[in-house]
Amino acid sequence: MVDLRLEATVNGRKISRTAKPHQRLLDFIRDDLNLTGNKEGCGAGECGTCSVFVDGVLMKSCLLPVAKAQGAQIDTIESLAKTGELSVLQKAFHKAGASQCGYCIPGMVMAATAALRINPFADREEIKERLGGNICRCTGYQKIFDAVELARDVQNGRLPATALLETDTEDGEVIGKNVRRIDAPSKVSGKLKYAGDMTMPGMLHVQVLRSPHAHARIVSIDVSAAEAMDGIEGVVTSADVPGQDGFGVFVHDQPVMARGKVRYVGEAVAAVAAEDAMTAKRALAAIKVVYAPLAPVFDAEEAMRPGAPVVHDYAPDNITKHIPIRVGDVEKGFAESDLVLEETYSTQAIEHAYLEPEAGLSYVDPDGVVVVVSPSQNITHHRHMLARIIAKPISKVRFIMSPVGGGFGGKEDMIYQGMLALLAMKTQRPVRLVFTREESIISTAKRHPSRTTLRMGLMRDGRIRALDMRMVCDGGAYGLSTEGVMRKAAILAAGPYVIPNVKVDTYGIYTNNTPSGAFRSFGALQTAFATESHLDIAAERLGLDPFQIRRINAMRDGATTHTKAKLGTVSLTRALDAAEKASGWEAGSPTMRGGTRGDLAHDDVRPAVSLGARFAADGKGGKQEAAE
Amino acid sequence: MLICDEYLTPASLTEAFAAMAQHRGRYRVVAGCTDTLPWAREGRAGDVNIPALIDITKIPELNELRIDERRVRLGAATPIQRFLDDAALGHALPATPRCAVWFADDQIRAQATIGGNIVNASPAADITPCLAAHDATLELASLQGGKIVKRTMPLGEFLTGPGKTQLADGELLTAVECDALPGYGGSFEKVGHRRSLVISVVCLAVLVKLDAEGRKFDDVRLAIAGIRPIPRRLREIEDFLRSKTLTGALLEEAADLPLDLVQSRTRQEYRRDVVRGFLMRGLISAAKRAGAHPDGLTTAMEAAYG
Repeated sequence: MVDLRLEATVNGRKISRTAKPHQRLLDFIRDDLNLTGNKEGCGAGECGTCSVFVDGVLMKSCLLPVAKAQGAQIDTIESLAKTGELSVLQKAFHKAGASQCGYCIPGMVMAATAALRINPFADREEIKERLGGNICRCTGYQKIFDAVELARDVQNGRLPATALLETDTEDGEVIGKNVRRIDAPSKVSGKLKYAGDMTMPGMLHVQVLRSPHAHARIVSIDVSAAEAMDGIEGVVTSADVPGQDGFGVFVHDQPVMARGKVRYVGEAVAAVAAEDAMTAKRALAAIKVVYAPLAPVFDAEEAMRPGAPVVHDYAPDNITKHIPIRVGDVEKGFAESDLVLEETYSTQAIEHAYLEPEAGLSYVDPDGVVVVVSPSQNITHHRHMLARIIAKPISKVRFIMSPVGGGFGGKEDMIYQGMLALLAMKTQRPVRLVFTREESIISTAKRHPSRTTLRMGLMRDGRIRALDMRMVCDGGAYGLSTEGVMRKAAILAAGPYVIPNVKVDTYGIYTNNTPSGAFRSFGALQTAFATESHLDIAAERLGLDPFQIRRINAMRDGATTHTKAKLGTVSLTRALDAAEKASGWEAGSPTMRGGTRGDLAHDDVRPAVSLGARFAADGKGGKQEAAE
Repeated sequence: MLICDEYLTPASLTEAFAAMAQHRGRYRVVAGCTDTLPWAREGRAGDVNIPALIDITKIPELNELRIDERRVRLGAATPIQRFLDDAALGHALPATPRCAVWFADDQIRAQATIGGNIVNASPAADITPCLAAHDATLELASLQGGKIVKRTMPLGEFLTGPGKTQLADGELLTAVECDALPGYGGSFEKVGHRRSLVISVVCLAVLVKLDAEGRKFDDVRLAIAGIRPIPRRLREIEDFLRSKTLTGALLEEAADLPLDLVQSRTRQEYRRDVVRGFLMRGLISAAKRAGAHPDGLTTAMEAAYG
């Protein structure tokens, strides 16, 4: 390997260092220079968390071989607030509430800085366009665009610098006020350390061997060749688990690493700790696993049929959880109804796509406490589970929650923390694992895909008499949060509506797909999609306005739900009023409308996607006809 | 992950050919690297070990830009962003700024090169249909008997299929030459799942030259991509429109010519609808930018397709 001698200027300081020829500029600034403000979100140029200036031009450092930086001037997020004072843009991000999880923010601040350098008068459309290479998963972008417009106006003197300060709080009063987030300065400056930014002296790097099979028996695992390699400090498999193996939010059906068989593509089989990640990666190739493939099952309804492949021995019917709810008599309700409608709805798996891929560190502290640092959304439960898995008293297990670079439910599962603890115990050195984006997508939970058959009986005036719902969800290979998701789905299946006769069955089913787990709304999305779509169809059939049919059935203050929850106040009708007003809704049944809608032509409706705002700008904040 | 033993940055064509000769069979030529690095990841090529990467972007000849009345010559390492930053270039090649703004994002455009986009030969490449509309010719160089020998080839011949070109072993794409078309109106239509960093489901490059009064088509050039293995010039429509008077009815007639263009494996019906809409919108936008007389385009049409 021919190392490079890299001479460059980084954040105003000349550097002269050796670099590996295959390193990317991102690796060099993060690993070698320890400038961890810019992040790696995808490694493929899609997300922009790694955006840095190269000779004043913004580029994605994950796409730049480090040799391309030879002789260049590199400026990272750390260059913007070098004296400790935040830049105008950083202050504006703070003021506007533009940072939430914060992981995309260093790249976003860099892109915004570039946009306003190129056109200090850029309008909102041009700002959107110039920030097109950066993805944020939390904010929905509006607050980010607000922040860039605020910074632009302050820089141009249209607004005073005091516009960047907090103005709303008086006498320490914060409720109902627009307060700035106290953690925003650490995020807009790139100073906040996420797990993947943290290092420890003597730290080892972890890589994970994953299953290429959806369903297979593990005949044997031979790690001896990997263990014998130079630079390898430890290899672990399920055989290294000293206690009772198994984790999960409800049922502890998932081993730390595959035990006896693999149940989905991407399941962890073994983990290696080495002096560097490349060495660990090479060792993975030296682990010999013999698999005996088993018949897989990929469809939840097929998995429910007799004779289907069994994913877990404890659940021979592949049912992770069935939640039945019965109120009144639905058949009687249908008999009394003027209209009975039946439809089947389906929703797909969805990846959370938080900008921060999973990462964690583990070490054994001087008192023998096994410590795990990770962006876990459920550290107390993890601590209890890990204590049992590694057979230690709870006082000898500690979980530290690192800043979560986006979770949305996807970081509730103890998918990798167990492996890290085992490696820290085995090597007695700190260990760190940083997932790639691909690894994150292949191995962690998704939203439950669902298929819902819904039958609803209604009176001619729109009142719902009966609802019968059967929802089958693909829970994937392990239980994770499936039980809770099925419960919540069943609880919310009938919507916020008064329905005298209700029958609901929700099923979470084991298959050999990627496990499904917690995801924002936790089951409500799947059933609400069915119920609300159904109400729209019913409105069309009954000649009612879709708002109207919901008002007719809406629960009011003091209502009792189909699961016997007594509701003090119900805000549904107020929410409907507000939505109707805000949308400029054209009243009437869907059947009364022709081929065009009259309620789409107002300022709050987004125009069709286009690009080219920059062609119309004259660079002074005004507009002129596109002239080329 | 892309692993290499050596990363070479030759400073001249001679040095580049020397490096290619020295590492024969064990090298890969790279330019912007914006496609190479994502390619070497799990799910695509996975971990790839290439002994020598030869980066040709620092060769001065490959960064040259020459514009005269008739032709424009662009070095193959010209970054895509240059179409937006260099006003003279955008003036000479009027469809290119409209195309470039849809290409990846501002950051990747600063790095990705024209040559890389051509040699990759993706059916969804954005720059190739645009250059095809500008009648691009490629200059290919190789080392023969110790001498650098060059040949030229029209872009349409060079591309032979998805990922396939006529680039010979040991040969480098060094420059692209196009007709200079100042005074033409240009447009570029593209649709994908989002507006930045998106692969074209359909894209269309349009160039229109009108007579002095802005009433008649003097020249039309159209190239479509994303729906076929390689970009296709729409000469049938070009010939149909040339010398005719610009009216809405004429454009509708042109967009309805029975051409079977969509060869995609998926969503053919949708793409057919898009192609028709793009022809209308692209021709209207390009005609407007070429100075169309207001009589030719009704406001109703502009509202429907603009």
